[in-house]
Amino acid sequence: MVKEDNSSNIKKKRKLANPKTESESDIYKKVVEFEEKESFNRQGSVDAELYFDLCTDIRNLLTEVFNLKQSDPNSKKLKDIQTEIFIKMCLIKKLNRIDKIRHVYGKETLSTEKQKCDSIKLNYQNLVYELHHLVTETNKCLAFKSKDEDIELVPFEEFMKEAPEDVSKKFSNYDENDRDQKHSLRLARLEWELMQRKNLAQLCKSLIEEQKKLEQDLVERKEKLNALRPLLMNIIDSTKPLQEHLDMSLKEMRVDHKLAYLLPDPLYIFYVNVVSYKSVNGLDLTVEIVGEEDEAVQWKECGKNGNFLEEESDEQEQEVEEIVEVKKRRHRKSMQVDPMEEKKKKLLEQHPLKVRIQANLPDGFSLVVFYSYQTRLKIITVASETVLPSNVTGNCAKDVLNGENLLSELIEGDTGLESPNPITKFQIKKVGFASFRSLVPQIGYAYNWAQKVCGMDFLNKKMNSDEVGGTNIEKVLKILFERLESRRALAEQLQLLEQNLLPKLPDCIDYHVNFVCSLTKWCPVTYQKYCQSEFTKMLVEDELVAPSDAFYALNITRGNAVLEALIVIKNNYPQDVPMFSLCIKYNGVYHSDNDDEIRDMERLLNVDIGDKSSSLLSIQIARLQSYFDVYLETTDSKVFPQTVTFIRNVSGRNRKKPLKYCNAGNGIFTQ
Amino acid sequence: MLTKDFYSTILSQTFSPCGNYLIAGDTYGRISVFNLSKIVQTDVVLNKEDLTPRNKITINENGQINSLLSTPSFLLVGVSDILGYNWKTIKSTTVQKPQPDWRIEIPNRKDSFENADINVMIHDKEKNHIFIGCGNNNIYVFDLETRRLLKTLNKHTDYLHSLCNNGTDLISGGEDGVVNLWDIRTYKLTNKIVPHSNEAVARPELGKWIGGVSANEDYILCGGGPKLSLWHYRFLTNSTVFPINDRGIHVAEIHKEKILAGGKSRLFYQMSFVGEIVAEIAVSAVTTYSIAHQEHPFNTLCLAGSSPKIDVCANFMYKNQQLSLY
Repeated sequence: MVKEDNSSNIKKKRKLANPKTESESDIYKKVVEFEEKESFNRQGSVDAELYFDLCTDIRNLLTEVFNLKQSDPNSKKLKDIQTEIFIKMCLIKKLNRIDKIRHVYGKETLSTEKQKCDSIKLNYQNLVYELHHLVTETNKCLAFKSKDEDIELVPFEEFMKEAPEDVSKKFSNYDENDRDQKHSLRLARLEWELMQRKNLAQLCKSLIEEQKKLEQDLVERKEKLNALRPLLMNIIDSTKPLQEHLDMSLKEMRVDHKLAYLLPDPLYIFYVNVVSYKSVNGLDLTVEIVGEEDEAVQWKECGKNGNFLEEESDEQEQEVEEIVEVKKRRHRKSMQVDPMEEKKKKLLEQHPLKVRIQANLPDGFSLVVFYSYQTRLKIITVASETVLPSNVTGNCAKDVLNGENLLSELIEGDTGLESPNPITKFQIKKVGFASFRSLVPQIGYAYNWAQKVCGMDFLNKKMNSDEVGGTNIEKVLKILFERLESRRALAEQLQLLEQNLLPKLPDCIDYHVNFVCSLTKWCPVTYQKYCQSEFTKMLVEDELVAPSDAFYALNITRGNAVLEALIVIKNNYPQDVPMFSLCIKYNGVYHSDNDDEIRDMERLLNVDIGDKSSSLLSIQIARLQSYFDVYLETTDSKVFPQTVTFIRNVSGRNRKKPLKYCNAGNGIFTQ
Repeated sequence: MLTKDFYSTILSQTFSPCGNYLIAGDTYGRISVFNLSKIVQTDVVLNKEDLTPRNKITINENGQINSLLSTPSFLLVGVSDILGYNWKTIKSTTVQKPQPDWRIEIPNRKDSFENADINVMIHDKEKNHIFIGCGNNNIYVFDLETRRLLKTLNKHTDYLHSLCNNGTDLISGGEDGVVNLWDIRTYKLTNKIVPHSNEAVARPELGKWIGGVSANEDYILCGGGPKLSLWHYRFLTNSTVFPINDRGIHVAEIHKEKILAGGKSRLFYQMSFVGEIVAEIAVSAVTTYSIAHQEHPFNTLCLAGSSPKIDVCANFMYKNQQLSLY
């Protein structure tokens, strides 16, 4: 170790000495070179042997020294030996140095070899990586799918047939196993396909262009047509003066007809029918379509008819949601619009157009009827009003001419208070209306005949399907006009009766002229009051009266005898004869339930009146007056002096009174 | 709809000889035939058809049928003539327009331009005579065999309401308020009662007319405007005035020691001779004009009047069933 330190010191010294002198360094260099050469040329194993020999010599010398020292410490020989040993030590030192140099050299070669090895390894790894990359690339290539595989090619046979010969010729003896040929065939086929497709694309393009051209042509023509319309309108306008001159109302008709197309189907049927019936029969009837045209156009466009059902189901879903919502917001409910209310409103939706019919009677009395279509309920409802001439002032008369009253029971039992559509019941129940009847003031009356004239037919007990539509128009209009006429006549009579005057009777009717008794009261009564009366019991019990009828009270007096009559006038007057219930107050109270004579009077009035003319009510009252006279004069001739002529005051087992008037001589009453 | 049927009034009834049919004549000149045999069976549930006529025959559209009389071979219908119908035609439901087999014309009084009503007909089975009480104040006696007029009894001054034959005498009551007693053998007027001159029975506000008479060997029953009353046959004095509430008697009959009476009253009465009310039957009619009763083949009392309904009583005590003209 010490030796090494020395050597390093030497080295340092050497390095330090280097810059001082060139010659000195040269020596060092030479020494180093020399030593390096020496070490290089010497063999390690020889050096090792030499070293071992030296070590043994030293040991031997040392032993000799020891021996000498012990025998003769001051011998001369010792000195020699010492020198010898020192020499030997120098040798070892030299050996060591050589070895060191050799060692350095070895290290250096090792490191250079190592470096070489590393670069080789690096090279090798690069190659491996490259190989791997190439393998994946080839895999990718192998996995690649060309688009041409998806292309549908024309079959081989067709290709051979249709492709030009210079392309197909070389495949005339095509071998399937030949890869190259297969590939080139494929290429050829693809190319052929491409060519064909290009051709087709061109064809398509040319066709599209042609289409465009035609479209343009169409647009041009359309423009021309549109331009034609104002021209035509001009022509029509210019013919107006001529039309006016010739008294033609084509224009209005056209306007109406245009509106008619917007009507819902049922109203359209009715409109067409009634217009044609009117024009054929020349009735005094005005037919109009009223309402918002724009709304109707919208309505038509929406085609509400068609998708009604879908809406319905939507509504149901909505309903469920709404219910949930309502539950959540119950405390705020009052603030919001009630969904039920909304639905109610929706259910009562009407078509924006209505058909208005005005039937005119000669003396200024006319009836206006509005037909409207309930789009949800799918029924026709009718509202009506009457235009009265100024001379109708009586309350009863006005009541009788009231529109609703007039149209009720045009056909027996048809009050219009029940919906003819069986579905309606459930519809109104669903949204929470109490009954159809309660809706009537709002939407109008749903008379059966109104449905019939509009061609609507429902599965109802009373209706016959063959009575639908046009055939009904005639019937219904006829009935309507008859009804108008009879009502007008009735109103006239009632007006006079209210003033306690007997209306003038037609000449052909036989009746006794000179009444002694007189009319003292005529007034309407309510159904309740009518039913409460004792002497109407029989009619009420037999269900011959209905709340829809009109009820009147009549008093006839002569002296202190009073005849009270309660009269029922049915809606279809005079088809159903007004029914009289009588009560005579003279020496007791007598009526048909306790007196045969009064029963007989009622019989004559109610079922034996004969001809049913429109002045039926007056005839009945005139007869009643004569009956009362006869009754009083035959019962108590002392109080009531005889003014009428009769042969017997009673006859027959039933002691009949002579109530029947016979126009013989001055007029005679018989049994 | 109010029909004339609603106001129909039945004035006469009779049973067919077999007792199974009830014939009722009304003011519209129609007779209606009811089949009773089913109605009297108590255990049968009746429908409406059983209670309405099995057939109806219009005899005279312009006159009422005031009287009907059943004889063994014919039904006699009193309109303005007496029409004799064979029972077969009456019972048949298929004959379209039944025609009478014969008719007896009533001689008209010269001063009348109206045909006389035949208000009452009774049959004397022993002699086969019929007594006819007419609207022309006369009583006619016909031989039913020869249909010849035998006698005209013309002492009444107004039309006849009721007749009764008690075996020896014919008792007649009429609108003139007199009850006449005629000897059947001689057709002489033997006696008369004038009830309205008797203060105990007179009801001047209702009139003097006698609506019903009946008699047995000891008593005469009569009533009408005057109260219903019983008179001794021999002394012609009033013995009982019946305490019933009515405004005119149209039907009065002595039947097996009982008095049957009805009229312008909503009740029909059954009473004893001393005036005790045995039964009151509420009737449908305002006025009862006709009763008919039989014992064979079943007990039946039919009450009819100014109503389209006929009340049927099996035991004469209360109403069992109600027939209807429509």
